[in-house]
Amino acid sequence: MSDITAAEIHKQVERFLSKVQKPSRYLGSEWNSVHKDWEKIAVHMAFAFPDVYEVGMSHLGTRILYALVNSNENALCERVFAPWVDMEEKMREKKIPLYALESYHPLQEFDIIGFTLQYEMSFSNILNMLDLAGIPLRAKDRGPEHPWIIAGGPCAFNPEPLAPFIDFFMLGDGEETLPELLQLLEEQKKNPVPREEFLLKVTKIQGAYVSEFYEVQYKADGRIEKLVADPRAPKVIEKAIVQNLDQAFFPTNPIVPYMEIVHDRMMLEVMRGCSRGCRFCQAGIIYRPVRERSPETLQRQTDELVKMTGYEEIALTSLSTGDYSCVQSLIHGILEKYSGEKVSVSLPSLRLDSFDVGLAQEVQTVRKSGLTFAPEAGTQRLRDVINKGVTEENLMQAAESAFKAGWSRIKLYFMIGLPTETQEDIDGIAFLAKKVAALGTKLGRRNVTVTVSTSSFVPKSHTPFQWEPQEGMASLEQKQRYLREKLRDRRIKYNYHDVDTSYLEAVFAKGDRRLADALEWAFKNGCKFDGWAEHFKYDTWIESFKVFGLDPHFYANRVTDYDDVLPWDHLESGVTKRFLAEEHRRALQEARTMDCRNADCTGCGICPGRGVQIDLKG
Amino acid sequence: MSALRVRIAFNKVEEAKYIAHLDLARVFERSMRRAGIRMAYSEGFNPHPKISFGSALAVGVEGEREYVDIELVQELELKEILGRLQEQLPSGIRLLEGRVIDSGTKALMAVLNAASYRITVAMGLPVSEEKLQEGIAAWLDRKEIQYMRYSKKGRVEKDIRPWVKQLKGQVEGDEAVFELEVEMGSQGSVRPEEVIASLCDLEKLPLDMDILRIKRTGIYVSYEGQKFSPMEHEAFGK
Repeated sequence: MSDITAAEIHKQVERFLSKVQKPSRYLGSEWNSVHKDWEKIAVHMAFAFPDVYEVGMSHLGTRILYALVNSNENALCERVFAPWVDMEEKMREKKIPLYALESYHPLQEFDIIGFTLQYEMSFSNILNMLDLAGIPLRAKDRGPEHPWIIAGGPCAFNPEPLAPFIDFFMLGDGEETLPELLQLLEEQKKNPVPREEFLLKVTKIQGAYVSEFYEVQYKADGRIEKLVADPRAPKVIEKAIVQNLDQAFFPTNPIVPYMEIVHDRMMLEVMRGCSRGCRFCQAGIIYRPVRERSPETLQRQTDELVKMTGYEEIALTSLSTGDYSCVQSLIHGILEKYSGEKVSVSLPSLRLDSFDVGLAQEVQTVRKSGLTFAPEAGTQRLRDVINKGVTEENLMQAAESAFKAGWSRIKLYFMIGLPTETQEDIDGIAFLAKKVAALGTKLGRRNVTVTVSTSSFVPKSHTPFQWEPQEGMASLEQKQRYLREKLRDRRIKYNYHDVDTSYLEAVFAKGDRRLADALEWAFKNGCKFDGWAEHFKYDTWIESFKVFGLDPHFYANRVTDYDDVLPWDHLESGVTKRFLAEEHRRALQEARTMDCRNADCTGCGICPGRGVQIDLKG
Repeated sequence: MSALRVRIAFNKVEEAKYIAHLDLARVFERSMRRAGIRMAYSEGFNPHPKISFGSALAVGVEGEREYVDIELVQELELKEILGRLQEQLPSGIRLLEGRVIDSGTKALMAVLNAASYRITVAMGLPVSEEKLQEGIAAWLDRKEIQYMRYSKKGRVEKDIRPWVKQLKGQVEGDEAVFELEVEMGSQGSVRPEEVIASLCDLEKLPLDMDILRIKRTGIYVSYEGQKFSPMEHEAFGK
């Protein structure tokens, strides 16, 4: 506990800020940042991203929710990121608690702190940030003098390893539910009620999950026996869905950082959701149904974005932008209007089968960088298993068009360790890479570079592969070595992720509440920034599981039965478990399931179950 | 096609002192675009707006009078350019004056060769005015001053004395305030904190280098013994 004031923190930080790396991470005064009068506002929220500034500021959801809260006249929202290690060291040395960037108020003084859970490997940073803020890690050790600690984002669909630390989670789209929560907080500040009573009110908000109202019972063999819900709380939690995305809140005055961030451009969200149905993909399930914005709305938002930010590039973002019904006309409209100001358009997610070289050429008129394709698997058989509908022909045609249009650098993304994978599938990766490189050379491109990246398959909750085990580390490493040998070619570069990180990711992706103790122990023993190879402490993690008698293989490498109770069974994306199981069976039969955007309903359950529908604008 | 080239003097103070040199070009580019002023771009695959600065200001150092050249493809009154741009700049960057210059005018980088700094350092132990003046005089009297610089390539010792044209100082309360003038050239220069660190070390002055503020008070064109502002570009040849 510290009683240090915002002014004192500001003064002290000013003394050493020139001595840390990239001080513009910590200024809080960037263009379009919102500075409200602390004293005049009822509800103070800090939006916390458990990674470094340049990663967190690149995240669109953070920008939407920051502006959303600030658009409410009774609330303010400030930002906080994980300070980089050099900054943290200085702060701990000078006993400066973690503070929010805009006003320098210590996190302790906020009413609510909202963490976004983008990936499992940031969990340790959440604990580190709470600790740095002087806030007790566990909810049971906090009192009315502490802020509510909440979390949302994709990992909130299996947040069990974080359950003891977080007061409640918010599942699904936040545009409509966060204002409801702010309202509750305002009432709570006026007429405080006891913790439990407040949390019961919270459970009435769509998608709000108060984990302490759910007790988990285990079998002797470690599997879950059952989950017992407090009778006053809902049995299952259904995620929140914004049905009309076109009318949903979207900020056109995002913060423009001083420093170069990872995605340093305007982001225009053209649609939410993807119905391609890749069987490994969690985002493809939890963001359903597909909802598009109209071209008119997007053109207006573009105009405002350009005017308010001055950025030189606009990314049309979504899970699969090539699928957006009006992508052509939208791009033409933007380029026509802004080519004089040298504003370029980028498409971060193009699929091979929706890849149109004309489109790619058009958007790259101003800046020419490499093209990225994601076949994901090396053979047609395995691509059918994962329901990635692209063919070798798609890839070769796309590559040919790209080489002919002047590109010489192509990146290919694959996964290794996918269910049913055989040696042939691994050889297929090398075969495709070489074939693409050879095509480039044949077409007369000099300096052909094919960059092959493989990541190790991590089974995720709420996907048809949630019952699948992750492949063992030794075998994954062997495959990486094999590919390294096989891809020896001066035109081909091979990148791969460390297997031990993917293993830990799988443990937490499929983990339950019992992992919380290990997480806390690992944090106390120095684990943080686990997603950064130079900070990842594998041995400490393994030690932490041992301390509590937990077997990480039980989580990552066990085949689960269809009738096993999964740790996230009470958290509903709207897609039924029955559909996921059916998709899993179809995967093993190498059977494709088509996209409901242009074929029959696949019966995933979201539309009838939740009274929503896909919303296409073209 | 360049329609207009302008040279602008600005200051970069308060929080803006933390904006790194490479980021500053982006700050100006985006401010110009928000202001709706069309810039000229370089040719090629990766077009960049034609914005160029004098010499880089180190992160954390304030600048009282810095310079930037910007090329536009739009005919606008200078006053309007400055007014519209100022509205879109982050606080801490203030435009002081501007001039339209010929397209043939030499780049700032090519002509600026001197800089002045004000350095304020806390005293670790009290230092008398007399002791301070003696220290400065003795330091300036040295013909050669080796200073160890640590870089990625390892330690390099270099003679910093030739770069220092003038050093004055005085005691103000519990701080020492220095006025320093250095040369800058294609071979580099000396950093103000290096001069003060060397002075403290060699002349045994107990100043606390951990508590120091640096402000660049100006950058100049030193030409045939005279000091010019880059705004007076006609005065020192083409």
